[in-house]
Amino acid sequence: MSSTIPGWWSKGRAILWTVAVLLVAGALYAAFARAPVEAQMGVVQKIVYIHVPSATVTLLAFGLTFAASIAFLATRAWMWDAVAASSCEVGMVFATIVLVSGPLWARSAWNTWWTWEPRLTTFLILWLLYGGYHVVRASIAGGARRTVSAVLGVVLFVNLPIVWKSVEWWRGSLHPRAVTMTGEMRTVLTLSMLAWVVFFAAAFQERLRLEAMRKAAESGGAPEAPR
Amino acid sequence: MTALRVLAKDLRLHARDARFIATLSLFSLSLVLILSVAFGPFFRDPAREASATLWAALFFAGVLGLTRALDLESESGGGEALRLTGADPFAIYAGKTIANFLLMAVLFVLLLPCTSIFFDVGNLAVLPTVAGVAALALIGYAAWGTLFAALARGLKARELLLSILLFPTLIPLWIGAVKLTRSLWADGTIEPVRDWVKIMVVIDVLGLALAAWLYEVIQEAEE
Repeated sequence: MSSTIPGWWSKGRAILWTVAVLLVAGALYAAFARAPVEAQMGVVQKIVYIHVPSATVTLLAFGLTFAASIAFLATRAWMWDAVAASSCEVGMVFATIVLVSGPLWARSAWNTWWTWEPRLTTFLILWLLYGGYHVVRASIAGGARRTVSAVLGVVLFVNLPIVWKSVEWWRGSLHPRAVTMTGEMRTVLTLSMLAWVVFFAAAFQERLRLEAMRKAAESGGAPEAPR
Repeated sequence: MTALRVLAKDLRLHARDARFIATLSLFSLSLVLILSVAFGPFFRDPAREASATLWAALFFAGVLGLTRALDLESESGGGEALRLTGADPFAIYAGKTIANFLLMAVLFVLLLPCTSIFFDVGNLAVLPTVAGVAALALIGYAAWGTLFAALARGLKARELLLSILLFPTLIPLWIGAVKLTRSLWADGTIEPVRDWVKIMVVIDVLGLALAAWLYEVIQEAEE
């Protein structure tokens, strides 16, 4: 493995994970120990430091899947397929965090675990669709897998702007159009965003590495780094 | 011209498979019946319940229609033959989309009077507008359904795979169709929910545009 995967990747991988873990630990500490307790919602409001960064990373991950899918269709290089699939899979984990943390917030803020408001509904649809991406991808063998996955990566992206703009397009949204915070709360939210993005990068490269190893195993050769 | 030939071929296949069309009709009628019994016998908001029933039955039955069209083509080897002709992929897609649209339109014509009778809603004055709403919904359904059906071709359990991709994608279209039909049946106008027309048009155009871009790629993947 180490003979074909460049040394910088292995070194960078360790550094990235170290930075990610430190940042996430710092962000959680800042959220629960340093950020002021919100007057109305109390400690439950701190979910926002996990929920909002996870939602942002989800959109980032599915956006990367879209871009990599287009790149695959244009170049047919396996690397772009690996990037798209890896990003989508890690993005699903963050999307699930959003769907779990959302109802915890909703129970306290809106007095219900779930309500059919635009952002919640469209996000659930997004989660279902990208879940479908993985099911379809896993159902296809051979060369068609990459092409079909890339087409899906492009087609499903249509839903991202719908999720993003849903609070403006439909009446009755309980989500704010933008998260506005000041002072220490804002600083902690910014730190959480950074931590989650770096954590995504670390998990993403790990998944990409797995794709590289799978590709090598399928071709019967030594693993090679994505180029 | 190619699109018309593909359309004629697909319609001929459907016409020869009359037993399936009859089964599909009975299936969709059963759905309407089950839902009307579930909501009834005293309806709280008949226009709302009827429109939801109509569109749910159509969308569920539509998946069976889409996958049946694929099966027929696979059995006869027509899909492979079409690819070998070197015809414009979008023309092939257009022919298939129109055929799927017409199949759904037949189901709609069958289900509309039944739903109206079961729920005691609707009148002739709003019929042309309801037909317009149906055209918007079914164009989108056929456009996206044909695209996804091509993706699911050759997969095991393709009805399931088609459903898990198609239904979430078309939820805005389904909500639009339900809201507009409900408004027509309850108030005789679409004014309170007019914005949904724009959303449905956008979804229709997006489906057709994506197919124009990607259908050739999907065909190549099958080779």
